[in-house]
Amino acid sequence: MGAIRPRGLSRAFRTARGAGASAAEMRNLHEFTRSTLQMNLGVKPGPHIAEQLHTLFELDAVALFDADLREVYTAGKWSVDVNELAQNVYHFESSDDDRHTGISRRVIRLGSVPIGSLVLRGDVDPLTSSALAGIIAITFDRFRATANESRIEAEREAERMRATVLDSLAHAYKTPLTAIRAASSGLAEMGHLSAAQAELVSLIDEQAALLNELTNRLLTTARLESTDVQGTRASLQLEQVSAASLIDEIVASLGERSAANEIRIEILPTEFAFPCDRRLVSMLLTQYLDNACKYSDADSLITLRAERSETEVLLSVHSFGDIIPPSDRERIFDRYYRTSAAATRAAGTGIGLSIAKNAAAAHGGSVWVAAGERGGNTFFAAFPIASEAPSSSTDAERNIA
Amino acid sequence: MTTSAIRVLVVDDEPAIRRALRPPLTELGFEMTEASRGEMALELLRTEPFDAVLLDVNMPGIGGIETLRRIRSMAPRLPVIILTVRDREEEKVGALEMGADDYVTKPFGVRELVARIRAAVRRVQAPPASEDAVIEIGEIRLSPSRRSVTKRGHAIHLTRKEFDILHCLMSRAGRVITYSRLLTAVWGADCREEVEYLRTFIRQLRKKIEDDPAHPRYMLTDIYVGYRFADQQMLDDQDASATQSLSTSDAEPASNLSIGTGQ
Repeated sequence: MGAIRPRGLSRAFRTARGAGASAAEMRNLHEFTRSTLQMNLGVKPGPHIAEQLHTLFELDAVALFDADLREVYTAGKWSVDVNELAQNVYHFESSDDDRHTGISRRVIRLGSVPIGSLVLRGDVDPLTSSALAGIIAITFDRFRATANESRIEAEREAERMRATVLDSLAHAYKTPLTAIRAASSGLAEMGHLSAAQAELVSLIDEQAALLNELTNRLLTTARLESTDVQGTRASLQLEQVSAASLIDEIVASLGERSAANEIRIEILPTEFAFPCDRRLVSMLLTQYLDNACKYSDADSLITLRAERSETEVLLSVHSFGDIIPPSDRERIFDRYYRTSAAATRAAGTGIGLSIAKNAAAAHGGSVWVAAGERGGNTFFAAFPIASEAPSSSTDAERNIA
Repeated sequence: MTTSAIRVLVVDDEPAIRRALRPPLTELGFEMTEASRGEMALELLRTEPFDAVLLDVNMPGIGGIETLRRIRSMAPRLPVIILTVRDREEEKVGALEMGADDYVTKPFGVRELVARIRAAVRRVQAPPASEDAVIEIGEIRLSPSRRSVTKRGHAIHLTRKEFDILHCLMSRAGRVITYSRLLTAVWGADCREEVEYLRTFIRQLRKKIEDDPAHPRYMLTDIYVGYRFADQQMLDDQDASATQSLSTSDAEPASNLSIGTGQ
């Protein structure tokens, strides 16, 4: 027989062989085991098991209760309400053999936990009944594990689909957006517009830009989440990134968005590099800074800090402005969540911070926000780093796909 | 600027984009011809003279990249500006290394597009400068023969590599130089992957060249693609937009140069 017996089966067999069980019953037991091991675990095993026990062991009647599915499967003819009978065996955990009626009752247990019951009527050795209960327990368990696995797989698949749809949707938006942008900016460049016309044209232009930004963010989210869902970090492009040059680049790229604020940069120690996906980290920091510029008091100071300790790199952006209430502090990192204050103050999509969260999570890091010591809010992002082993940096570089 | 109309061939499979471009380009002194496929564009290029090509990368048929390759083999110097989308940096880099003059990210503003086309045409029409000619852009003056750089007349001390980088960028001012091209030019082909190394040098250079390294005026970053040194026209545009936006801070790089920052 080609199938390998799962653990627990041997014990069931030893029990049955111990006494009483006839050679024919032992053969049937083997046959039953073989067939349960080869069973298609995509469908629930109960009905098939009941049927097989009935024919293989030439029993009068069989009832099998699966407590997880809350279903009773029967084969043969029962004169009593076997549903209740089988469920009572499970509820009262009563295993016994009645010689007068020829009924054997067994609780099906996985370890010590009852997961169902088996009721047989016919000529079968009590030890064989116990062995059967053991084999059924294992089969139920295998079915559950398979079902679980395929459910997780189905969820992953759905998530992948969602990300793909989001991605193609976002790309499909680009063409009409390009035409709108070209038309609106073209109108403005051609001149000859009255003040009112110019105002409307610039509104179209502005809103097209906003829609484009939203599209970009959706694209980014879709990509980040599809990475996430596959459960691997393989698509992270790790490289040694110098904190100073990264921050310079980000601040420079903010352009006029940061015009109303002074940005102070603190890097400790002054020159350090750490392995990360440059694009993701720069997305995260850009998001933090953008938010800081958007929601802070005009002309206030924004402080961007990067610190490296032995175990992590901590990036933070502090700005002065309305303090985010504690009840909002976790939820603002959820997609589409916007605080009531933010909703009225500045244009935003409610996606940015969830991107930041995913970007950190992809590195095994985390994000949070706290009230600043001198007022305002500080947004943090922590990236764990391997200890100072000299090879760690080069390893990270070699890992680039 | 050019006295006669610039003849531009717009190659894009999306009719809406071609339709949107025609009126403003015509109004702004261009003579626009359309093609919906690369194959069609190549056919037109064989029979008609053009000053510039605007080429979409994602098209059915042979596609933008193959079209570019074929254009380059028949017209090595014809300015080609590719149209691409934000998250396709490899595509931009690939097209630039295959000889595209510049790229514009969809969705783009007409002002930016026109500036790019004009700049590319201007570069081709300019007489080729000799290797040793002094380059002067804005307040920066670089003398290749003396290996010296001055800003507002004051000498700036640069290391050998810093000078080489600056020379490479300034001699192609206005054009984006990809990381790998810059690395290859200065350090050799073995180092073409060492982008982080290059970033460190650029950072040092900015400290020496720029008034405000956080808001560079000369050494601009095309994120994930490369660097470009502003040409005179770009500096003028920066000044114009700075006065226009009543910004109190330093002039910003033209908005089109901060590609990929909107995430």
